[in-house]
Amino acid sequence: MMTLDMQKLARSVLALAESMEQAIEVYAMSQKSLRVEVSDGEVETLREAQQTGVGIRVIDGGRLGLAFTTRVDPASLRETIGLAAANAKSATADEHNVLPPPRPTQALDLLDPAMGAVNVDQKMDFAKAVEKAARQYDARVTKVRQATYNDGIYQVGICNSRGVDIGYEGAYCAGGVMAVAEADGQAEMGWSYDFSRSFDKLDPAKIGQEAAVKAVEMLGATSLETCRVPVLLTPEVATDFLEVLIPALTAEAVQKGKSLFAGKLGEVVGSKYLTLIDDGLLPQGLASAPVDDEGVPSKVTTVMVDGQLETYLYNTYSAARDGVDSTGNGMRSSFRGAVTTAPRNFYVQPGDTPLVDLMSGISRGLQITNVMGMHTANPISGEFSVGASGLLIENGRVVRPVRGVAIAGNLIDFLQRVVAVGNDLRFFGSVGSPSLLVEGITVSGE
Amino acid sequence: MQIDREQLVAVLKIAKERGSDFADIFIEEVQSAHIYCEQDRIERVTAGIDAGCGIRVIVGEATAYAYTNDLSPAGLKEAAATAAMAARGQGEVVVMDLRRRTPSFDLPILVLPESVPVADKVAVVEKVNSVARKIDTKVRQVTVAYRDVVQKIIIANSEGVWVEDERIRTNLSMNVIAVEDGRIQTGYESLGGVMGFEILQENDPTELAIKAANRAIRMLGARPAPAGRMPVVMAGEAGGTMVHEACGHGLEADLVQKGISVYANRIGEEVASHLITVVDDATLPGRFGSYRFDDEGSEGQRTILIENGILKGYMYDYLTARKAGVPPTGNGRRESYQHRPIPRMTNTLILPGKEDPKAIIRDTQRGLLVTRMGGGQVNTTNGDFVFEVSDGYLIEHGEIGEPVRGATLTGNGPKALGMVDRVGWDLGFSIGMCGKDGQGAPVGDAQPTIRIPELVVGGIVEEGQ
Repeated sequence: MMTLDMQKLARSVLALAESMEQAIEVYAMSQKSLRVEVSDGEVETLREAQQTGVGIRVIDGGRLGLAFTTRVDPASLRETIGLAAANAKSATADEHNVLPPPRPTQALDLLDPAMGAVNVDQKMDFAKAVEKAARQYDARVTKVRQATYNDGIYQVGICNSRGVDIGYEGAYCAGGVMAVAEADGQAEMGWSYDFSRSFDKLDPAKIGQEAAVKAVEMLGATSLETCRVPVLLTPEVATDFLEVLIPALTAEAVQKGKSLFAGKLGEVVGSKYLTLIDDGLLPQGLASAPVDDEGVPSKVTTVMVDGQLETYLYNTYSAARDGVDSTGNGMRSSFRGAVTTAPRNFYVQPGDTPLVDLMSGISRGLQITNVMGMHTANPISGEFSVGASGLLIENGRVVRPVRGVAIAGNLIDFLQRVVAVGNDLRFFGSVGSPSLLVEGITVSGE
Repeated sequence: MQIDREQLVAVLKIAKERGSDFADIFIEEVQSAHIYCEQDRIERVTAGIDAGCGIRVIVGEATAYAYTNDLSPAGLKEAAATAAMAARGQGEVVVMDLRRRTPSFDLPILVLPESVPVADKVAVVEKVNSVARKIDTKVRQVTVAYRDVVQKIIIANSEGVWVEDERIRTNLSMNVIAVEDGRIQTGYESLGGVMGFEILQENDPTELAIKAANRAIRMLGARPAPAGRMPVVMAGEAGGTMVHEACGHGLEADLVQKGISVYANRIGEEVASHLITVVDDATLPGRFGSYRFDDEGSEGQRTILIENGILKGYMYDYLTARKAGVPPTGNGRRESYQHRPIPRMTNTLILPGKEDPKAIIRDTQRGLLVTRMGGGQVNTTNGDFVFEVSDGYLIEHGEIGEPVRGATLTGNGPKALGMVDRVGWDLGFSIGMCGKDGQGAPVGDAQPTIRIPELVVGGIVEEGQ
């Protein structure tokens, strides 16, 4: 197999540091990306980008120094290695700062060769089709914003002084849109987004219609009196909650005393209906790769089974501290960032119950279709309080839209109140969930 | 970063060669240093250079944007050609003479980050960490992050604008985690500005540690906030998240022009109580959202958005100002060379009123006093907003009562600001990284003590209540 350019670049940087006594790791990344935004049937923005960057970690007697650069000439790279080495001298030593050894990896098919052949006109037409589908769905859809198509083709190379030497490449594409519906002087909006690793598997009409449906169904929304009811989280809202929870499931958070789940391994922390999986090898997954960003082979990790906490997510550092193997969750936000612990493709295992059956069992409840301010939830204490909107359900049927209410509580308590899991698993980026039915939630309103 | 006038003109000519209304070039070199302390030790020290160039070509309402890390003459020309290819138009190929703009006001930096040894920066971080840890045995974990950023920019456009500038920002943030009887609470504090290392000499960073630690400990003993509608007094010290969310975003011209702002087509109308005047001001020395020039080369300015309750204007970048036929207000910002400019806030303020803040509390029979706001979000289409209260107290019979935790305030921008019935003479600033269209921007927000007679408080209702 041909060696990728980024693997060659990473190797060449490592070669520059050959005489160094410290441990060193080189992460090289390049990406070509494109984004089209359409408005009123015309292309409003077209953005094309080319980016290359190198991130370097030096470990000097357990002290960690980092540096990065977008300049990939030998002189700049040499300077960057020197900067990382100098930074290490200001850090505190920790024996658990180590680089992983090379291990066998599994090849993954992340690059659909057809992606490179999709031309700009096809991409523009895609974004236009998204917009058109949203507009045509209903006459009350008055505005469509950010009908977009974007894609990227990327390469990663990781080499370290213990012998890790790996490269991989991949591609993805995505579409999204926001629709505004208006009636009786009220305006409501709905978002939609979808992604794929193949252009022909991404459906513009589905994206456009979904945003329109979400906007239109909210027309006429009013508040609700404060009440205690079951809430049905859509896969999107359930995913919003999951994203707040995930950091607490990392060994890093546990070791630093900022996890709700510290000391709870083997204990039942969630409802028996909840099984959580992290899968770095998921076919077509947005976060799939043969290795994590430290070069540790990807794997499938079952974090929670039937509500029982099985393991935390580990990178090389936290694994060394607990004397276990890394779960392949050492991730960088980019070549600029430090290696932290982050999920790969993380999801709630779906059940067998279709959404209609979940709904039909509700005598009075709220299907929550959107939450606002989820980023203000506290992943350390587990407390959250968010604005919510959705659909009031009575006797198994949607009776009217609701907005301007709030739900609050603690995530652990929330996890334990899940009484049913739908069969409609959907990913939003690399995190996904089916619909979740949660009982006994206070909805604050009028 | 040496790119001369002839080179800029040559690149702009390529960007316009296929005919377009406008082309601009944004060249950036960012040097940053970052020190992170957790678990009572300096976990890592990071430094780096991110350099690149973004080229934008506008034809009618369409924008083509290309960016690259390759700042060689060939790399710049290739990016310009890519952008030109994407935006084919009938405009003229003329590029006006570049005239270097000089700023009419200054934002002085006293101590350049590169003049300060890494060890001195580390020492501040270690000091703050140890102060927070010594406050109480309940303090379980402390994280401290120091960051300084030196951003050098060159901006030139086909209308003759040419700006070279350097912006320096320094900030220190910390999070204290306190634990008692299995309960866990946090206290966050931050300090930042368009300043060099002097920000940590003029302000006592250990005060940050004391505030953050005391808040985390106080919240351990706080009861859950009550839920429902009630009067809310926002103290000046609480920061400006409310003004940012409740009206700031809705006054950004791109959202207005797309008709997805509740404030669209309402210039001259009453959109807030007559006690409310809102300005956006990029010229304030030292503030986190300040700059001499925006990211399109327009000079930063003070813009009146709402005056005595009447909507006066919006915040514009080049493109939205051109569309509206008004001058740009210097609000065209981008996260980096990788992003196209969009209208953004800088430092957004509700101006102080005439009342004693203490009297506002005293005259409130029952309600919630907010002394620190956390993050927030707004749905600009209908104006609904939400933000978290990270430090709050009950008000009972005009007295500050016990602390409460976990409250979120939900309301509607025009309705909430329309109801404001008291405005204090104080003014408190807060800093933040505002997110919009996937771009982060450093901003400052400020407001005086204000009272809103009725907001929905989303509190935590515990079992049995």
